[in-house]
Amino acid sequence: MKDFQIEKESRGPVQIVRLAGSLDMYSFPKLESQLNALFDQGNYCVVLDCHRLDYVGSAGLGSLISLAKRAREHKGDVRLIGVPDRIYKIIELLGFTKVLAVYNAEEQALAGFPGQ
Amino acid sequence: MNLPDKIQRKEATGETLLQAPGHESYLIYIRAIVADLASKIGFDEHEVAKIEIAVDEACSNVVKHAYAGGQEWRWQHGDPEIRLDVRTEGDCLVIEITDHGQRFDFANYRPAEIDGHLREMVSGGYGIPIMRRFMDEVQYSSNDQTGNTLRLVKYLKKQ
Repeated sequence: MKDFQIEKESRGPVQIVRLAGSLDMYSFPKLESQLNALFDQGNYCVVLDCHRLDYVGSAGLGSLISLAKRAREHKGDVRLIGVPDRIYKIIELLGFTKVLAVYNAEEQALAGFPGQ
Repeated sequence: MNLPDKIQRKEATGETLLQAPGHESYLIYIRAIVADLASKIGFDEHEVAKIEIAVDEACSNVVKHAYAGGQEWRWQHGDPEIRLDVRTEGDCLVIEITDHGQRFDFANYRPAEIDGHLREMVSGGYGIPIMRRFMDEVQYSSNDQTGNTLRLVKYLKKQ
């Protein structure tokens, strides 16, 4: 059980954002704030590394959808990598994997972004 | 698990009672306790994950709607609080979540389908559909004496 944490790094024009802990009703505003700040700077290509994420609730999923929607409106995207199996099964059952771009590896997620 | 002082946990025979402040910062503890209990009575990892998210959605709704800021609660004398009664009844895990906030018209609430919401990339409104998708029973009752109670049931044998 960990507090929600965010670390960011640039990979050329793509921002890698590493998440840890629980993405729920309490923590999702922190993610939105950080990603909207990136968007406001014109960085609409984002990869979220979810390896160290231990929970995602509907508030977090809804937030990911609205962030991906905003990014796509600017020819970018918010792509997920390293989603733990326990979380992946839940979001797959609910259908969120149909609208969120989920990849196994960072290289796959980076491919197709401008400048990669 | 170390719990904050503001969370009270009491154990009775086959039953766990929790009282936590009705604030989103305590949801992480509620989830962890319920997931641990569900695991101990025999649900596998993926069923535990379903129970965990269903309970989180229920408690999130309490915080977001029943205790919504600026609204009147039915019991003004106390701080907003979430009470959970987690127990087994035969082959079932029963989780009752009680608040003393605003009543919700659960019977007449018709949530959008998850698929339709997703197609339109809507960001909210998934809580009750998730509870209904992952639990075997979802029932809401409201009583002036005891408050609002959401009863979630999961059958152990359906796995």
